[in-house]
Amino acid sequence: MGKAYRLLYDENACIGCQACSVACRVEHGVPEDFFRLQVRMELKGVFPRLGMSYERMACVMCEDAPCVSVCPTFASFQDKDGLVHIDERVCITCKYCILACPYHARFVNPLKNVVEKCDFCYESRVSKALLPVCVSICPTEALMFGDMNERDSLVYETSHKEALIFPKAHLKTKPKVAFLPKRKGMKS
Amino acid sequence: MNHIAGSLEQYSTLIWHWPIAVYLFLAGLSAGAAMTSLMVKWIEGNNKAPWDGLIKAGALLAPLTICLGLFLLIFDLTRPLHFWKLLIHYNFSSVMTLGVLGLFIYTPLSFIYAAIKFKPWLFETGPFAGLLKPFKGIIDSIGDNPAWLERTLFLFAVIIGIYTGFLLSAMYSYPLFNTPLLPILFLASGLSSGVAASILFGLLFFKSEVNQKNAKYLLELDLRVVPMELLLLFALFVGMYFQGGDKTLVAIQALTTGVWAYVFWVGVIGIGIATPLLIAVTALKHHAYRVGYILLNSVVVLVGVVFLRLYILYAGQTFIG
Repeated sequence: MGKAYRLLYDENACIGCQACSVACRVEHGVPEDFFRLQVRMELKGVFPRLGMSYERMACVMCEDAPCVSVCPTFASFQDKDGLVHIDERVCITCKYCILACPYHARFVNPLKNVVEKCDFCYESRVSKALLPVCVSICPTEALMFGDMNERDSLVYETSHKEALIFPKAHLKTKPKVAFLPKRKGMKS
Repeated sequence: MNHIAGSLEQYSTLIWHWPIAVYLFLAGLSAGAAMTSLMVKWIEGNNKAPWDGLIKAGALLAPLTICLGLFLLIFDLTRPLHFWKLLIHYNFSSVMTLGVLGLFIYTPLSFIYAAIKFKPWLFETGPFAGLLKPFKGIIDSIGDNPAWLERTLFLFAVIIGIYTGFLLSAMYSYPLFNTPLLPILFLASGLSSGVAASILFGLLFFKSEVNQKNAKYLLELDLRVVPMELLLLFALFVGMYFQGGDKTLVAIQALTTGVWAYVFWVGVIGIGIATPLLIAVTALKHHAYRVGYILLNSVVVLVGVVFLRLYILYAGQTFIG
């Protein structure tokens, strides 16, 4: 049976330390001012009732991925587990996928001139049964990663216990990344 | 602002820039010119050499503009030398692949059609006559009136005109692109730009060969297509307005905000639609044949269509709700 990967981001546990973002840059040699992963922070509310809100910006690994269906050369493709990858040899950098991605997860790597995005660290880590680097570095365990087919996995347990939000769910892209929305603090 | 998460530059929603708009314009113009040339040729009495100047103008414009557009498209790629990979991989769910396949058929057909119309120049009087001699037999064997070729060319001209619209309308996170009317709007404006370019080109370069009757036929055709564009634009924005949510917001923003609203009202509506209609009801009233005004009419229509493509591309990526 294939894997049903899921990555959970707990907005309650995140402190906005950017360790995940830095680890990602180091792991993948992402050029300056470009990002596979960003965690944005915003101060919300009116003094004295203030609170931080966090947002993870990265590929959400859609099951019905618009980037894959628009790519004319299959450079954007899904592997057997449904993870979306980019074949750098075939990418002509037409940027159609960047336009199609509703999550703005893609960019052109100016050193390689190909489209790049988060790949759950598949090559370097996940395929070797390691966690994605952002998950393993997170000091507050705000990130969880695992296989939904394994009943005793943390992501399976958490997913069945917590109310999850799938980003832009109305687009029916079926992301493999879900958020545990903030329960405390300011929401708007 | 110094954002702690880092630069936000890569998250700009403006991904495709002006070369794409110019390509969309040239592809539409090419398709429109092919249709124009065929429509004039299919008029009773126009089916033999010497060809009318307008038939020749359209036949020449179709292959030239599509090639120019494709060059622009290839060199707009971040890796232009990899473009051939597009020719050997086919993803049938991608509008871009479908466009490539359409162009595979359309482009050679447009060249063959042009070769038939310029046979004496190509094979006898022109500078490449010696070089092209071997191909004369092929063009001769097709004949002057290959119905299958002309009908296929017309069909594929429609397909090319329409695909440029679907290329954008498949992008569902951009409300102004993602409307069912966009392909039809692009086809209509492509046709009107093809007609205008054929008249302009024909009157400038093949003037002695242009039959007044045919020119009037095309002007009348343009006078029908231009109001149709206005109706399509009207229906597009009103339709978006009634869809609610982001679409309503984007429809309002795109017509009222910033420089792109000016481009729309001045460039698309003012220059591209109101001016030709004004010329039609004043200077060219009762189908008067005044060459100066006819040329002016063609220029404003073309400028308007360039503005329309630029407007849709940029406003579509600027206002996303």
